[in-house]
Amino acid sequence: MNDGGIYVRGWGAVTSLGWSAPAAARRLIAGDVEPAAACTSSHLVNRAFKAYEVAYGGHPLDKATAMLWSALDEAFAMAGLSAGDIAESSLFVGTTGGLFIRNEYEFTESVRRNPDQDAPPISCRNRGPGEVADWIAAQYGIRGMALTFSMACVSSSHALVVAADLLQKGKIRRAVIVGFEPLLNMTLHGFASLLLFDDDQCRPFCAKRAGMQIGEGAAAVILDRDKSSSAKYRLCGGYQYNDIKSMTSAGIDGMTVCNVVRQTLTDARLSAGDVAAVKAHGTGTRDNDLSEGRGLVKLFQEKLPPVISLKGAVGHTLGAAGAVETALWLSCCEEGMIPRSFGFTEIDPDIGFAPSQQNIPARDGAYLFTFFGFGGTCTSYLILKG
Amino acid sequence: MEFFMDTKNNKPQKRSAAAPVIAASYIGPALMPNRHALWEENELPLNVDTLVNEVMGQPMRRAGRFIKMVACGGLTCLQGVTLDFLKGKKTGIFLASGLGNVDEILPFITEVFKHGGGFPSPNQFANSVSNAAAFVLAKICDVTGTVLTISQEELSFEAALWLAQNYLEDGDIDLALVGGCDIFTPTVDEYRERLNLCLSRYRPLPMGEGSSWLLLGRDDERCVGEIFVVDFADGEAGPDALSATARAVFERHVRPGTDVKRIFLPGFRINTDELDFWRRHGWMIDDYLPCCGVHSTAAAFGIARVLRETPGAFFMHRNAQASGRQAVVFGATKKR
Repeated sequence: MNDGGIYVRGWGAVTSLGWSAPAAARRLIAGDVEPAAACTSSHLVNRAFKAYEVAYGGHPLDKATAMLWSALDEAFAMAGLSAGDIAESSLFVGTTGGLFIRNEYEFTESVRRNPDQDAPPISCRNRGPGEVADWIAAQYGIRGMALTFSMACVSSSHALVVAADLLQKGKIRRAVIVGFEPLLNMTLHGFASLLLFDDDQCRPFCAKRAGMQIGEGAAAVILDRDKSSSAKYRLCGGYQYNDIKSMTSAGIDGMTVCNVVRQTLTDARLSAGDVAAVKAHGTGTRDNDLSEGRGLVKLFQEKLPPVISLKGAVGHTLGAAGAVETALWLSCCEEGMIPRSFGFTEIDPDIGFAPSQQNIPARDGAYLFTFFGFGGTCTSYLILKG
Repeated sequence: MEFFMDTKNNKPQKRSAAAPVIAASYIGPALMPNRHALWEENELPLNVDTLVNEVMGQPMRRAGRFIKMVACGGLTCLQGVTLDFLKGKKTGIFLASGLGNVDEILPFITEVFKHGGGFPSPNQFANSVSNAAAFVLAKICDVTGTVLTISQEELSFEAALWLAQNYLEDGDIDLALVGGCDIFTPTVDEYRERLNLCLSRYRPLPMGEGSSWLLLGRDDERCVGEIFVVDFADGEAGPDALSATARAVFERHVRPGTDVKRIFLPGFRINTDELDFWRRHGWMIDDYLPCCGVHSTAAAFGIARVLRETPGAFFMHRNAQASGRQAVVFGATKKR
């Protein structure tokens, strides 16, 4: 991916901070961030779980659809793509839950409408994660390649790196990368069963961190080989790696993270000193932040650039995290500021640094993005500004 | 050369080179690796533990059925070369599944929704994560590079194969282990709904399952065939257009005068009228679906089976999504 790079032509995002990426960026920079709260969506059966929920007045299936179209419309508009341009694009979707929300919504509705009857067993009628791509292709008339990556928390970040690879090889003309994760009972209860939630707050890299909090999100990022007049950002290196040592941890000694980031820099023909800031995965779980923090320190040593996790502000959007956090970050760059990392109060001596605690100017340079997921999956990429 | 799927807009800028196939394996609902056996839809799913013991040599106690099927399918393919063959080579794993770990998701979500509160199992949730199976297979194979779990409904296997071919061609990897796995999950009616089936959109055949794999890479001694082209099109392209493309691919890859069978492998959305079309045009029909039943990644079964069992053939597999998007795979098997 080092041969000139791939241009980021447009993006869009819907998160708990708002229905557009610039709106969310402005709130991040202003520090206007609400903590995760008990969810209100009608399909959620346990209101005790706190999460970062997208505000919406209608029913959850409508909301999921609206989130998807809103993020894509925003990205297409920013990229200035015509219907013909969109049609010849290829589609790369990252999602874990896909449209599973339909099962949950239909079930809870049937129970709600029949209060005097025993609840039926829940049906599983969605068509797998690939259904999302089929929806999008039909909605926008996309006729290029469609690929759905269902790979836990790196789903859309892996999709982005694979799409960039294919663009670089000249196999596709343009890539629309989508991350999509509506809030699901399945994931809320799943992570609760693994005891991975922090009931109080998501505190990335903090000594007091005790787990993650889930966020709801949809986002789209458009990559192109051709530099359009509006393209200011260039994806200049990316790396995907599968760590088989552990299904749930990237290794708390930090070596895996260090190697993945080093490989990304090599791919981009950049050095550690070129990195202006790190958009860390920073989930707030004990192991992830230890692995990542130690890995970053190992690599950058005393020249560690500002490290920011967005999960203290929007939660962990799981498979959508790659697209969501890229879109928010780039909108922050457009606003001229990189926001502080939320949820931090105390340095963890085992990590040895504090994530950035003040907004910093979004200067020209390389921004490093890292993502680490269940199943040993690691993604890292660099986006150049200027 | 123009292929039929080069309709207005979706033409890739570069086409991929042919990918040699080093090994192929198939497992269907009877759970007999690379063998044909009778099975009945109403007796599915069969217990997979005998297969696990046969292939893995030990039980996989904490793994779900989907993960077991993926591991058994991938390892069965590698039995053709042994695991040592992968050592020192950059290997990619490309797991395709239309529906993924539904076997774990269903009981988990049933517990979540249990009246009065159930006990969702953390192990079940971990097993239900979509890429858990690829992790297990990668660990067994000691593969650390490109490991991808890809889902594109009934074109999942073709999508994974296309991606693997691209990674191989550019030297990102030396070997690609590409497989399709989907498992039978009750009820039959819901299973059909999950595959978006209605009578006008598929050949009425029993529902099934499978885990079928190809090992792609360059090895002249072991080569059992080649994958020439994997490509996609929207619903406008019909068999007439495909026929011209098939002829062009044939002429490009098969030396004139070579005695080869031309075999059409019909995916489950290909109707019987089209089978007649190909017969009229001199193709033999290898209807593999009665052997594996309808499942999202049945294409992997059909392609792996023809690669193992029909030497000296030029083959074409075609399937489509209900929405009309279609995929075609052209390849050939080696004469033995």
